[in-house]
Order: sequence, then structure tokens, then C-alpha cells
Amino acid sequence: MKEIKLRIKSVQSTMQITKAMELVASSKLRRAKERIERTEPYFNIVHDTLSTIAYGKRDFRSPFVEPREEIKKICYLMIAGDRGLAGGYNSNISKLLESHMAQHGKPVCIMPVGKKAMEYCQRKEMEILTAQYTYVEDVTIGNCFEAAHFLADEFRKGTFDELYILYTNFVSMLTQNATEMRILPIPYEKSEAKDDVRSLVLYEPSPEAVFNAVVPEYISGIFYGALSQSWASELASRRTAMDAASKNASEMIEDLSLKYNRARQGAITQEITEIVAGAEH
Amino acid sequence: MSVFHLTIVTADGLYFDGEAQRIIARTIDGDVCILAHHTPYLTALGMGECRVTGSNGETRRAACIGGMLSVMNNEVNLVATTFEWAEDIDVNRAERARQRAEAMMQRRLDAREYELAQAKLKRALTRINVGK
Repeated sequence: MKEIKLRIKSVQSTMQITKAMELVASSKLRRAKERIERTEPYFNIVHDTLSTIAYGKRDFRSPFVEPREEIKKICYLMIAGDRGLAGGYNSNISKLLESHMAQHGKPVCIMPVGKKAMEYCQRKEMEILTAQYTYVEDVTIGNCFEAAHFLADEFRKGTFDELYILYTNFVSMLTQNATEMRILPIPYEKSEAKDDVRSLVLYEPSPEAVFNAVVPEYISGIFYGALSQSWASELASRRTAMDAASKNASEMIEDLSLKYNRARQGAITQEITEIVAGAEH
Repeated sequence: MSVFHLTIVTADGLYFDGEAQRIIARTIDGDVCILAHHTPYLTALGMGECRVTGSNGETRRAACIGGMLSVMNNEVNLVATTFEWAEDIDVNRAERARQRAEAMMQRRLDAREYELAQAKLKRALTRINVGK
């Protein structure tokens, strides 16, 4: 009986924690969703403009657009969470990384963002490009620009030949997808609509100068957008996970209280039987 | 006057989305003015004042730092690193930033630090000029 009572107590305190975490995640999620709404137009415009230009390039060459002939190394910008207890959020990202790596079979280096991503890379002994952005929550737009300049420079130097970003796309409160996207060389789709624009674009002062100035902007735009998406996804999946945990806990408490009451009733019945038996003698 | 569709965005949100007659912005190569039916165009932005004339003929000023300006099919997109309308600028804060940057430049710095301080100073000066 005492055991059951203790068990109930411990489940209750766990439930308190999961409930609190759920509430914290929900309130942060509201802000994270606002951030997504604010960054979305930026993200889309930057991406559209760059892919149009990348498609339209004809009269100049830029190292940021041309696919390299030999891919010696791939760099991944991996965004995961700072904390666990978020359902499959962190493991989905690392699974995606693994499947992507298996597909390409090239040496890789990683730029982890978030403590969980960092721990993962250290455990797997992967090459870490920079360990500057360990905490997702603290990364600001300024940091994104810094990182973008750094990545653009490294790419130009030839430290790696392709750059992918791995993040979690926030579809809705209940659905979040781990997604990968190629950042460099800039991907583009062929389309008829873009054909009339392609040869006419005027660049000032020169295509190369414009590209060199704009590419870091593009990377940081994508980085920041992906970061906002991931952050919201993390909170949403934590909320869902904690909601499920709280439900399980309350179920367990119900179950245990039933057992406890039965045991208590049993003990009382036994006592009465003993007293009655004693009186009869 | 004929108008074009102008969108101004930063990572912080949407600042302008609508019809405009004219936009003047500082690029890395100097000031440019874009009117309706401009040829497809792309340039990178420097630091400076940006003036937008809306469809009603009213001109608004803003401090615009970094980013790019693109014109495609009579649609103008200004994607800035930071963009602030003149009325939103906190001149006192910019003034303090200017003093900090100047104090920093007084000390002995390596080339990179010096560059950073210089960039900070330029940003503060742009804000002050526009905000006044």
C-alpha cells in the first residue's frame, strides 16, 4: 500500500513537470509563430529572386551558381534543439542527416546549431566546422549574417563544394517535417515564365560584384527563415509530446488510485474479518 | 504618374507592400532612382537614405542598410538587412551608438575590429542623418 502511494506521488510530480513544460512551450510557440509570419515574405522573396537570377545567368560565371565538377566535401548546416523531451524532433533531423549522407557517400563537415545537434556530431565524431552557435534560442539575425559570411567565404575557398541546410518545416501545430534544402550552389528550376526575364537583367556595378554582396544575404535569409521554422517546430513537437505525457500520467494515476483503493478496502475487510473472528471465539 | 508594385521586406517583417511612384535608394555604387517600367535590374544596397514616393505622391524617408534591390516585370523588391522609417528611428540611441563606435576607434584595434567599429559608426551616422 505504501508503495502504491509513493508511486502515485512520483507520477503526480512528473505530471506537474510535463504540464508546466507544455504550458511554457505553448506560450513560446505563439511568439515563434509570429516570428515565422514576419520572416516568411523575406524568405520567399530572397529565395525567388536568387533562383531567378541563378537561372538567368548567361553572361557571367559565379562560383556560387556553377555546380562543381567534383564534389569532394559536403557541408551541412544542421538545426536541432537545445533540449530533449520534444518527441521525435531531434532524432528526425539526425535520421535525415544519416540518410542523406548514405545517399551521397561523400566526406562531410557539419555546422551544428543547437545543443542536441552539437552533441550528436561529437558522439559520431564528425568534422565540426564551427561550434559557435550552440544555443538555438540565442541565435539572432546578426549571428545569421556572421554565419552566412563565414559560409560564403569557406565555400569560395573550396573548404566544401556543396552546402545543405537541414531544418524542420513547421506545417501545422501537429505536423512538422524534417527537411533538407540545397543552399549552394544556388538551385534553380527551369521555367517558361522566367525565360523572358533571363537575358535582360541589368546588374550594377557588375554581376560578380552584385553576386558577392547578395549571396551572403541570401544564405542568412534562408538560415534565419529555417531557424524560425525549426524553433516553432521544436516547441510544437514538445507541446504535443508533453500533452501525451500528461495524459499518460493522469491515466496512470487513475489506475494506481484504483489499485490503492482496492488494497485499502482489502485491508479493512481483512481487519473486520479478524475482529469478528476474534469476537466469535 | 504611373506606378509600380513595391515590396520592402527585412527578416523582421514587411515594411511596405503596395503601389509606389518612385523609390530612391543608395546602392554600393551610389544612389539610384527607380520609376515605373524599369528594365529588369539587380543591385546590392549600401548604407544610406531611402526615399519612397507612394501612389498618393507622399514621400517617406527611411534608413536602409545592406541588402538588395531587384526589379522584375515592373515589380520592385527591396530586401534590406535593416530598414527603418524615419519616424521610427530612435535618434538618441543612434547617437549613443555613434559615441560608442567613436570611442572604440580611439583604441588600438586590429584591422578586423577597426572595420567592425567603422561599420557601426557608419550605421549610426546613417540613422542620425535620416532621423533628424
